[in-house]
Amino acid sequence: MINRHSHEAVLAVLAALAIAVLALQSAEFLTPANLMNQGRLMTEVALVALVMTFVIASGGIDLSVGSIMGLSAVLLGTFWQKMGMPLPLAMVLVLFSGALCGLFNGFIIVRFGMPPLIATLGTLALYRGLAEGISQARSVRGWPEWFAQIGQGSFAGVPVQVWILLAAMAVAVVILGYSRWGRTVYAIGSSETAARFAGLPVDAAKYAVYTASGLAASLAAIIFVSRVSTTRSDMGTGLELDVITAVVLGGTSIFGGRGTIIGTVLGLVVIQALESGLSLAGIKGDGTIVLIGVVLILTLLASTFAESRARA
Amino acid sequence: MKTQFLRSLAGLAGSTAIALAGVTAPAFAQWTGGDDLPTNPLSCDASTPAPAPVAYNGGQPADATAKAGMNLRVVDVPKLVGIGYFNATSAGVAEAAGDMDDMSATTDGPAQANIDDQITLIDNYITSGVDGILFAANDPVAIAPLLRKALGAGIHVVGYDSDAEPDAREWFINPAEFNGVAKTLMDELAQQVGEDGSFAIVTSTFTTPNQARWIAEMEAYQSKCHPDMEWLESVEAQEDNILSFNQAMTLINKYGDDLDGIVGMTSVATPAAAEAVTQAELCGEVAVMGLATPNAIRPYIKSGCMEDAVLWSPVDMGYAALHVLRAAVGGTLKPGDTTVEAGRLGTLQIVNGSEVLLGDPVVFNAGNVENYDF
Repeated sequence: MINRHSHEAVLAVLAALAIAVLALQSAEFLTPANLMNQGRLMTEVALVALVMTFVIASGGIDLSVGSIMGLSAVLLGTFWQKMGMPLPLAMVLVLFSGALCGLFNGFIIVRFGMPPLIATLGTLALYRGLAEGISQARSVRGWPEWFAQIGQGSFAGVPVQVWILLAAMAVAVVILGYSRWGRTVYAIGSSETAARFAGLPVDAAKYAVYTASGLAASLAAIIFVSRVSTTRSDMGTGLELDVITAVVLGGTSIFGGRGTIIGTVLGLVVIQALESGLSLAGIKGDGTIVLIGVVLILTLLASTFAESRARA
Repeated sequence: MKTQFLRSLAGLAGSTAIALAGVTAPAFAQWTGGDDLPTNPLSCDASTPAPAPVAYNGGQPADATAKAGMNLRVVDVPKLVGIGYFNATSAGVAEAAGDMDDMSATTDGPAQANIDDQITLIDNYITSGVDGILFAANDPVAIAPLLRKALGAGIHVVGYDSDAEPDAREWFINPAEFNGVAKTLMDELAQQVGEDGSFAIVTSTFTTPNQARWIAEMEAYQSKCHPDMEWLESVEAQEDNILSFNQAMTLINKYGDDLDGIVGMTSVATPAAAEAVTQAELCGEVAVMGLATPNAIRPYIKSGCMEDAVLWSPVDMGYAALHVLRAAVGGTLKPGDTTVEAGRLGTLQIVNGSEVLLGDPVVFNAGNVENYDF
């Protein structure tokens, strides 16, 4: 048991420690208003990271999520303003097209056996290029008030997108931790060959995780557009790195077969707490980036060490 | 409605095809990279009509004068940190903070010109309870909800270099009016390449607000005052030195003898274009001019490959921004005022409702380039 959850334990201690220390450094850090606000700021990365946990646990990776986010943002503006569709329909179509982008990733990976790193590196460029071509570098503005509520409003004192995130977390925890689908993902990540011989639906599971990854990126795009009230084709640039950092910090093995949603959530919390807390404590942005890199490496070292001790 | 939908669909298909083919040319032949906002070209001669007064259109912080007389903690958030231009603006901010003994100002910005990073950064400073925010926006709309939140929290907000939506900040330091810069650039260019010359533009991206605005104004002024000049193409080069050089090289190779001049719209693109022309050994045949800092173009002016470049002093801009913030806090600058005192810069004019005008653009040439160091 210690063996299996040692990383989450290390991370939980680290998160508690970081929050305690940062709260001492700045009186504004551990306030309900700031915590809600940080939840608002981390939702887009967190949504994509939840699904990325599945992708990486299955032994894959998806580098195209940032580009799918940019393409989805541009498509939302195009569908709604340039084509005159009702906004709810445009939102549904954007989610659909995001899922389609993910499905296409899955298609290249499954059908042609291309390594996910290469396949999604290619679609990273492809989807970003499409976003730039379709947007013609114009942004779409003037969103209706109800739409702005998704990214800027609150429900029962909690930002609207945090409710969406909490719901997505619950679903992800159940699927990865307690369902046959989740066990299939781990099995593929541990040994794809063994999973195939065991008669597991390997191809279907891979299609599913990449499609879900695209869907999450397009949902993140809708929330982001609502939060900043404009569309740009460069939205989501570099998102993949933030997401993968959180997932790996959360203990998901980059080789597949291991990883939990709780770990990813803890990883997200540690990063967000450091970014916000250090900024409030008066440390500049470049210092924060350095510290996050150091924390990532030290945490993984500590958990590898704890694991080898537990095994021995 | 239906035909419009079909046309949009066709346009979309066309754009997609272009994106797939990897061609960077704009889909619409007429389009030069300007924005869609109305333009206001100046008259072709030197006369400058007095600007029509515009009512105050900025926003006001909750309890605008509550902080008068208090020690203020101000954060300066440029588009990005680590480039010469914004190092100069933050030097100006620091200089102004040194003038006043009741202000402390720090500069902190994203490592890349990224809207999300800039928003997160400012949001954390709002939470930390700063008294004032100076900003140069990476996107005028995306930053606006956050700045309104700052105003709502009683924080004073002044922009410089790149504006946000007017009601999201109190004042904006306008380094030079867009139509004034456009006129200076086009007149200088026409004088160098002739009234029937053809030219191309190297800009940052077509959505960067300042560059898009200048290009739109240049287009309007050119069709009014230099109608025989030919606008070949506008190309994007981020604010990237190597990309700007490559784009300038591509223009030289693509248009050959048809290209008489290249205009750089960023302080990175102009020296990069001059370097490209130098390496292509076309100095004197292809004129290079545009917006640039004096330090970056000094070698090309000395070698004779460039005649001049246009800009303002970023140091003065940062300096003015903090003084304007101080004046707004102290109540000496109120909505409806037409001038403001800004330390060593003297009295500055207020135009367009809530924009503080830094002055006329400066033309750097062989005669004066040695007098500047930034």
